Amino acid sequence: MDFLIDDKEKAFRQEVRDFVREMLPPGWMGVDPGPEEEEREEVLQLSQKVWRKMGEKGWIGLGWPKEYGGQEDPVKDWVLKEELIYSGLPGMDIAAVQGDLILAFGTKEQKDRFIPPITRGEVKYAIGMSEPNVGSDMFNLQLKAVEEKDCYIFNGQKIWNSGIHRADWCVVYARTDPNALKKHLGISVFIIDPKSPGITMRQITQMTGLGAFCEVFYDNVRVPKENLLGQKNKGKDVSMHAFAIERSYGLVILHNARRYFDQLVQYCKETSVNGQPLAKDPLIRNKLAEMAVEIEVGRTMGERLNWMGCQKMVTVIPSCQNKIHGARVAQRVSNLGMQILGLYGQLDETSKWVQLGGRMRHMYLSSRAWSLAGGTSEMSRNIIAGKYGLGLPS
Amino acid sequence: MNLAFSEEQEMLRKSARDFLTNKCPKTLVRGMEADKKGYQTELWKEMAELGWLGLPFPEKYKGGGFKFLDLVVLLEEMGRACLPGPFLSTVVLGGLPILEWGSEEQKQHILPKISKGEAILTLALTESSARYDASSIQTTAILKGNDYLVTGTKLFVTDAQIADWIICAARTSKKANPEQGISLFLVDAKSSGISTVLLSTIAGDKQCELTLNKVRVPKSNILGNLGQGWEMIKRIIEWAALAKCAEMVGGNQQVMEMSVNYAKERIQFDRPIGSFQVIQHYLADMSIDVDSSRIVLYKAAWKLSEGLPCSKEISVAKAWISDAYRRVATQAHQIHGAIGFTKEHDLELYFRRAKAGEVFFGDVDYHREIVAQQLGL
Repeated sequence: MDFLIDDKEKAFRQEVRDFVREMLPPGWMGVDPGPEEEEREEVLQLSQKVWRKMGEKGWIGLGWPKEYGGQEDPVKDWVLKEELIYSGLPGMDIAAVQGDLILAFGTKEQKDRFIPPITRGEVKYAIGMSEPNVGSDMFNLQLKAVEEKDCYIFNGQKIWNSGIHRADWCVVYARTDPNALKKHLGISVFIIDPKSPGITMRQITQMTGLGAFCEVFYDNVRVPKENLLGQKNKGKDVSMHAFAIERSYGLVILHNARRYFDQLVQYCKETSVNGQPLAKDPLIRNKLAEMAVEIEVGRTMGERLNWMGCQKMVTVIPSCQNKIHGARVAQRVSNLGMQILGLYGQLDETSKWVQLGGRMRHMYLSSRAWSLAGGTSEMSRNIIAGKYGLGLPS
Repeated sequence: MNLAFSEEQEMLRKSARDFLTNKCPKTLVRGMEADKKGYQTELWKEMAELGWLGLPFPEKYKGGGFKFLDLVVLLEEMGRACLPGPFLSTVVLGGLPILEWGSEEQKQHILPKISKGEAILTLALTESSARYDASSIQTTAILKGNDYLVTGTKLFVTDAQIADWIICAARTSKKANPEQGISLFLVDAKSSGISTVLLSTIAGDKQCELTLNKVRVPKSNILGNLGQGWEMIKRIIEWAALAKCAEMVGGNQQVMEMSVNYAKERIQFDRPIGSFQVIQHYLADMSIDVDSSRIVLYKAAWKLSEGLPCSKEISVAKAWISDAYRRVATQAHQIHGAIGFTKEHDLELYFRRAKAGEVFFGDVDYHREIVAQQLGL
């Protein structure tokens, strides 16, 4: 057993850090990964710039096959993600994960068509899964896709589709067989152009004040047959794969929280109350150390998860464990941050009195989503308890 | 990176589990809680024959030449079995400091005896303040001719009632900085002026009040350098904390398995209680505590084995595992209901040991403070 990090990985990490330093605007406090904060114009601009630059460097899809511009190097792929997310630099688009799906289930034509624009950093993706009556019970989805001669006709509704109003493509889960014996059997997956005629959308403002969610209505939308991803009615396989490749989501959350935490530690070192730095207060030291322990534990769990992934071991259970832990730690960090900031914690970045750029307030709000998105913590616990984990009876 | 155990380590684990399943039934565990010695000499001899007692010592001291990580594998199994006896005291608190700082003569004299099961050791560190800080050490050692006279009262000294040798921390000089002027002595436990009183503890382990009244210790029995004991003690605290973590992880794993099995078998409302989502979610959360504990333990133990800086990793492990084991054992009681609350069920053995482990060689707050220092706070 060894936890050694090889020279190649160390060198690449340094390369990414240099890149990050070059791209970070002065005084940048960082943003959460994902499309939400791209609602702010300056974040969107920076995100697109970074995404393109990563494309130029050949850093998008580092784990992908060489013929599709990758390096077949999952370690590098994770190092890049970890460093980018910790830095708070926006840019890593959902397209990187959706490309995994296209490579796993797409036809040769689909791969040739959809993958190169992703690796060039030219396109943005969104995901269309949830519906007004479909949250955790995702196989209950009702958006109808009826096969015609040369296309599928879509009717129905999606909701909570983050960033679809800015996306070039959306991977959409729809019902193609309403008479299937079991509800998970009649589902198919499509790559849809959100600008197709018949699609209308309404932005929904999140608790953070950002209008990143969209409610999407499909009214006789024609989707070409060549945009069906995987086999018709076999969408369950695609969705299971999508969950499997999202194994690092808990770590994404954790490494994002790590930035906020380090800023909080710095704040406690620099801020004096009654002539003494907050960092000298025994209660604050203890609370900060408690968080540091939980973060370190999460990182070590992550090392194991990534190692297992590289060994092609089944990672369903550890990824669920990381997801629950990561979300919990992130929420606890934000709670502690708000507690330490006290009255100042209420302020946003528009106030001249704001501390830490108002980021802790943002995280306090945004972190509520992290125990929901990508599978709720409760669904993760169900999976751990079930047949792939503890084997408890249903 | 390779997070799999070697074949040799897997074999050590398997043979330890088989041996302890056979030789350490819970009747023995309970019996030893009531026994003054707290261990079975037969079993101790067999453990010596298996090479366990000399595991981390080089071959020239009749040891196995294994690393701390290997010791962790063994300690996990001991924790799983609730093995009673002075293994941690003898090998970790006594043997490792002698191996690290002892003179060749001291090593030759004592280590082979440990390996052969002929010497039991322990460390007398804490006193009535019950804290692991330097200022708590008030026991004095005064030079008289070629001997030191050691006087003081030590508390929570594990297995002192059966020890042959006691490594005792005492002040050899008064300095403004409490971390200076402390020395470690190899005290023959049969010396006159030594008395022990067994304390009745929550885990039924053997912890003593150890009184030293002008105990004569030859100068040559100083361990390491005179007056520089605190630097050594800090290292010993780390080893002991990590060794205890390994026991706790083994116990935690066993509690987890007992709880999953019970949830599958116990029928209420005409179905196994493990089919209820609330129980499933308890167990899912417990699995996170158990699996995360194990990997932070291995990371710290690997670093220690490789001689890498690992103070932070050890404190992260002890702070986390102490909380995690208590959480898991607590939740296990909720799942087991009334039967778990009795002396007729094994769960209570683990619940009591989880609390004892939590406070052993630095509780959660102690180790968080070290993490805080590492954060530069």
